[in-house]
Amino acid sequence: MKNFTYFQPENLKDAAKQLGNNWKDRLLIAGGTDLLGLMKHNLERPDVLINLKSIAGLEKIEYLPGKELRIGALTKITDIAEHPVIREKFTALAEAAGQVASPQLRNMGTIGGNICQRPRCWYYRGDFNCLRKGGDICFAVEGRNKFHCIIGGAPCFIVHPSDLAVALQALEAKLIIFSGKKSKSVAIKDFFVLPDADVYRENILKPNEIITEIHIPEPASGCQSGYLKFQEREVWDFATVSVGVSIKKNANFIETGLVVFGGVAPRPWIEQKISQALTGTILKENTISELTDICLQDAEPLEENKYKVVLAKNLLKNLLMRLNNI
Amino acid sequence: MSSRKIIKSKYFFEEDFVESLAEVPVEKTEAWASGAELKVVGKPTQRKDGYDKVSGSAQYTFDISLPKMAFAKTLRSPHPHARILNIDVSKAKKLPGVLEIITHQNTPKIPWYFGMSFLFDTTLRFEGDEVACVAAESEHIAEQALQLIRVEYEELPFTIEAGQAMSEAAPKIHDTNILRGRPDTYERGDIEKGFAEADVVLEETFTTQTAVHNTTEPHCSVVNWDGDRLTVWDSTQGIFSVRDGIADSLGIPASHVRVIKKYMGGGFGSKLAAGKYTVMAALLAKKIGRPVKIALDRKEMNLAVGNRPDSVQKLKIGAKKDGTLTAMVHESYGASGAYPSGAACSWPFRTIYQCPNLNTIDYSVYINAGPGRPMRAPGHVQGTFGMDSIIDDMAEKIGMDPLEFRLKNYAEIDQVGNAPYTSKRLHECYQQGAAAIGWYQKRRPAGSSPGKIKKGIGMASQIWWGGGGPPAYATLKLNRDGSATVIAGTQDLGTGTYTFIAQVAAEVLEIPLDNINVILGDTGVAPYGPSSGGSTTAPSISPAVRDAAEQMKTKLISGAAAILEVPERELSYRNAVISAITDSEKKLGISDVVRQMRERVLVTTGLRNANPEGYTINSFGAQFAEVEVDIDTGKIRLLKVVAAHDVGRILNPLTSDNQFHGGIIQGIGFALMEERIMDPMTGKTLTTNLHNYKVPTVMDTPTEIEVIIVSDSDPLISNTGVKGIGEPAHIPTAAAIANAVYNAIGVRMKSLPMTPDKILHALFG
Ligand SMILES: Cc1cc2nc3c(=O)[nH]c(=O)nc-3n(C[C@H](O)[C@H](O)[C@H](O)COP(=O)(O)OP(=O)(O)OC[C@H]3O[C@@H](n4cnc5c(N)ncnc54)[C@H](O)[C@@H]3O)c2cc1C
Ligand code: SF4
Repeated sequence: MKNFTYFQPENLKDAAKQLGNNWKDRLLIAGGTDLLGLMKHNLERPDVLINLKSIAGLEKIEYLPGKELRIGALTKITDIAEHPVIREKFTALAEAAGQVASPQLRNMGTIGGNICQRPRCWYYRGDFNCLRKGGDICFAVEGRNKFHCIIGGAPCFIVHPSDLAVALQALEAKLIIFSGKKSKSVAIKDFFVLPDADVYRENILKPNEIITEIHIPEPASGCQSGYLKFQEREVWDFATVSVGVSIKKNANFIETGLVVFGGVAPRPWIEQKISQALTGTILKENTISELTDICLQDAEPLEENKYKVVLAKNLLKNLLMRLNNI
Repeated sequence: MSSRKIIKSKYFFEEDFVESLAEVPVEKTEAWASGAELKVVGKPTQRKDGYDKVSGSAQYTFDISLPKMAFAKTLRSPHPHARILNIDVSKAKKLPGVLEIITHQNTPKIPWYFGMSFLFDTTLRFEGDEVACVAAESEHIAEQALQLIRVEYEELPFTIEAGQAMSEAAPKIHDTNILRGRPDTYERGDIEKGFAEADVVLEETFTTQTAVHNTTEPHCSVVNWDGDRLTVWDSTQGIFSVRDGIADSLGIPASHVRVIKKYMGGGFGSKLAAGKYTVMAALLAKKIGRPVKIALDRKEMNLAVGNRPDSVQKLKIGAKKDGTLTAMVHESYGASGAYPSGAACSWPFRTIYQCPNLNTIDYSVYINAGPGRPMRAPGHVQGTFGMDSIIDDMAEKIGMDPLEFRLKNYAEIDQVGNAPYTSKRLHECYQQGAAAIGWYQKRRPAGSSPGKIKKGIGMASQIWWGGGGPPAYATLKLNRDGSATVIAGTQDLGTGTYTFIAQVAAEVLEIPLDNINVILGDTGVAPYGPSSGGSTTAPSISPAVRDAAEQMKTKLISGAAAILEVPERELSYRNAVISAITDSEKKLGISDVVRQMRERVLVTTGLRNANPEGYTINSFGAQFAEVEVDIDTGKIRLLKVVAAHDVGRILNPLTSDNQFHGGIIQGIGFALMEERIMDPMTGKTLTTNLHNYKVPTVMDTPTEIEVIIVSDSDPLISNTGVKGIGEPAHIPTAAAIANAVYNAIGVRMKSLPMTPDKILHALFG
C-alpha cells in the first residue's frame, strides 16, 4: 500500500472540492471494506483519501409514506437489512442486504460503497494487466471463467458483484449524485454501464461526483418484491447468480413485473422479455416453468459457466413461486 | 533408572516409513488394560491452554515482539518458470527505513529442496519462488521496498498440469519431470488371473484437486542472534527438524540454534520443516544486528508453502457375483509441484480390502507450481475418494449393499506387510456407524429420493498408520511443593498435547491436574521429541510421559522407604501419599519425601517403548454422511456425519471430539469447495485469498457430527495403548460424502470438489 493523505471534510462541498478529475489520485472512502483491499493489493494507489464518514447527515433511513424511501449513501448494510419498513415494503432490498458478505462486512460496508465496489474478477484482483486495468487482453476469455458473465460481456466479462444493486434495480431506485455545485437524480438503470460502453468503469459516475442518497419509490398497492441469492459457500461469498423480482398483482393476475439478475452480466441485468411476459399471467407452477424457459435466451456462456443459465432459471422459478406462495 | 537399549526403529511418518536408531526401555511398563478404571486419562478434561486462548493472553509466534525488531518481506517470482538475468536493488535500498536486502548476489549458495535448488536460485520454477528478501523498520516499508526492486527475468516455457508435464514435449523442470524418473509400484498375486475369475469388471477414472493447507496462523518466525547463537520462534510442527534445518543451512552447530514454539494456529503438514523464510530472516538479522520478524501473507501461503497434490486415478476392479474381490488395479499421477513431494495415493487401495491380486502404479510429476507438502494424511484422502467410489459402484453392480460388500472383503491381516494387526476393529466401526446414521432404515436406492431436494446416505472406510514409536522422551520434575513439571520436545499444534501430557502424569502420580505444569516446544530445554505429524504425537509421547511418571513413583517410594525405614514392598502409594501397609501411622506425602531428599527437585526421564515386532499398527474407521442435494442449484448440504473409529485409547474425549470435528469440516471443504485454481495461459494461481480459495465456514458444517470410538485401548502398542486420530478424522469424509451424493442423485461424481456447477452439469448437461 502506498502512503496517502487522509482528508476529513465536514460537508459535501468540501469533499467535492478535494476530488479531482481522474480516478487515480483522489478517492472517496466510505466503510473502506472494498477500497482498503484494493489499496493493499496496489490496484488503487491514491495520493489522497477523502473520508465520507466525517460528513454529518449521510447515514440515514427516511420513509415518506406514499412517496418514497430515502437512504443516505453512508447507511450501513446491516441497518438496511434490519429496518422494519424496508423489510415489509422494500423486501427485495432487505433480503439482498441480509445476504451481503458476512456480519462484520455488513456492519462496516455502506450502501453507497456497495454499489460502487469494483469487480471481483480474479484476474482483475490478481497481478494480471488485463483490459480493465489498461492492458491489452481479457484473460478470462481463454482462461478460467466459471464465475464470469454469460451475457452483456465483451470485451470484458466481469459480473457486477453487488447484491444491493440488483435489488435496487428491481425496485427502480434513483441515485442522487452531487458534483460540487448541484445534485442530480439518475435512474439506476442508467447508472451502470456495460464494458462495450466503458471497459474501465462499471458506472457513469465521474471522479468528482459523490452519491449522497438513494431514493426508492413507494411500491403501488399489490406490489411485492424479493431477492434470492445463490452462493457456493453459505456465507462470506458473492452471488454465483442472484435474482431480484418485483411484481404487482391484481387478484390472481400479474399486472406488471420486473426481473433483474445478478451474477450473469457486468451490470444488474434486466430481463425485458420476462418482465413483459409476466404481465397478465396467472402464476402457477407450470406457467412459471414456461415463463422462465424464455429467460436469458441471448446468453453466450464461456467455456466454464454454462451452468449459470440453468441456475438463473431455477432461481427465478423458485423466487416467483415463493412470491406467489406456491 | 530402568535399563535401556538401542534398537532400529521404523514407523510411518506422513509420507513414508522413517527408520532410525532409538533408545527404548528394555522392558515396557505394562499397559493399562482395556477397560482399566482410570481416574483422569480418558475423562473429559478442559484444555490446559484453554484460558490463555479464550482470554487472548496466549502468545503465538505471530505475536512475539522484541525490542528493536525489524520486519522482513519477500520478493517472489511473478512467473511460473524464469531465469533471473539481473537484480537491481539500488532504488529499494535508498527508501528510508530499509535496512538490508538479500538476494542470490550477496548470500551463500545454501542448498534447498534436497539439493535440487538453493535458498536463492537463479532459475525460478514456480510463481512465488523466492527472489529477494528485505528487512525494514516496518512491514509496510519492507513491502514498498519490494516494489522498487528491479528484476530482469528471462521467461521460460512452463507446464502446470501433471498429465501434460509427463509428455515428451513438455518443458523440463528438472532432468525429467517424473520424480525419481519412475513411478512407485506395488504388486501382489496374478492380476490377469484375478480379472479372469471376475464376473464383473469395472474401470473408472477419478480426479481430485490441489488443496492448500491455509492454516489460520500464517507461517512466521521471529529470529534473534545473541553472539553466534540463534533463537528462533517459529510457528512449527517440528522444533527439532526446524533446528537442524536451520543449523545445516547456516552452517552452524545445532547446539547454537534454539527453536521455541508455544502456541500455534494450525499446521496440517505445511509446517514440518525449516522454511526458507526463517533462514532468510536469520541471514538478515545477522547482517543488521537486530531481531527480525517475518510473516507470510495469504497470497504467499497459497503459492509457496505447500499443498496437497492433485490426482488422476484410473482404477479397475473385478469381483465375483458373490461379492468377492478378485483383482484391483490403481494407476495414478499427481502433481508434486516444482520440487520433490510424494503425490502417490494408492496406500489405502493396497490394504484396506481383501484382494489377492493387486497392482498399483503412482507417478509423482513435477510441474511449475508450488511444491507439495504433506497435508493431513498424504495420499489417503484422494486415494480413499477414488477407491471407495468404485467399491460402491461395484457393490451396486452386483446388487449388494455397500456395507455388506465391504464386510465380505474385510482384510483380517495386513496384506502388504503380511503381518497381523495389533488391533483391528473396523467391523465394529461399520456396525456402530451404520446404526447411528440409520443405514438400514433410511437408505434408499440411488436416485430414488423424490422432489427437488434429494437426500442420500453414503459411507467410506479409513486406514492410516498413526502408531508412532521411539525415539521420544519426556522429562518429569517433581518439585518440593509436590507439583510436577513435564518437559517434552514435542509441540502442541492446538490439538491438546499440553492437556493429555498433564493427564497421563496426573493419572500415575495421583496429583491434581492444576499441579502439573507442561513445557513443550523448546529445543533449548527439552529432550528430543518427534515432529507432530502422521498422527504420531500422542502415541509417541504419552508412553514416555507415563514411563517418566512411573519412574518417579518408584523413586518416591524408594525415598519414603529410606525415610520411614520400611521395605519398599510394604509401602503403598495412594493419592500422592506413601504409607506403610501394615502401619497406617507411618506415611509421607510426596512433598515431604522431596523435602527430605535434599535434591529439592527430583528428575526422571521416560522413554517411548519399542513397537511390538511382527505386527502392523494401523488405525481404522468408517464415516457415514447424510446429504441433501438441491437439484435446482447443485448445492450439497451436509445433514449429518457419523465418524466411527478404532483409534486405540482416547486420552481426552473433548480434544478428541475437536479433532474429529476439525478433520470432518476440512473433509467437507475438500469434498465441496476447496481448490487451487491456476490460469492455463500464464501459469499463475488465481486462488490466492480466502474468498477465491473457499474454506468452509461454520455455516457450511453439518447440523450434526457424531463421533463414536469403538476402541478402548491397543495394549500391544505401548503402555498407554494410544493410536493417533488427527489424520484418521479427515481421511474418509470426502469419499463418504461423494457416495452419499451418488445415493441422492443417482449420478456418480468422479471429480472433486463437487461444486454446484459440476452437479448441475452432471444432471442437466
Ligand atoms: C470478503 C468480501 C465478501 C463480500 N461479499 C459481498 C457480497 O456477497 N455481496 C455484496 O454485495 N458485496 C460483497 N462484498 C463487498 C462489500 O459489500 C463492499 O465492500 C461494501 O459494501 C463497500 O462499502 P464500503 O462503504 O466499505 O465502501 P468503500 O470500500 O469505502 O468504497 C468502495 C468504492 O466506492 C466508492 N464510494 C464509496 N462511497 C461512495 C459514495 N457515496 N459516492 C461515490 N463513491 C463512493 C469508493 O471510492 C470506492 O471506490 C464483499 C466484500 C468482501 C471484502
Ligand atoms: S473479465 Fe474484465 S476484469 Fe476480468 S480479466 Fe477480463 S477484462 Fe479483466
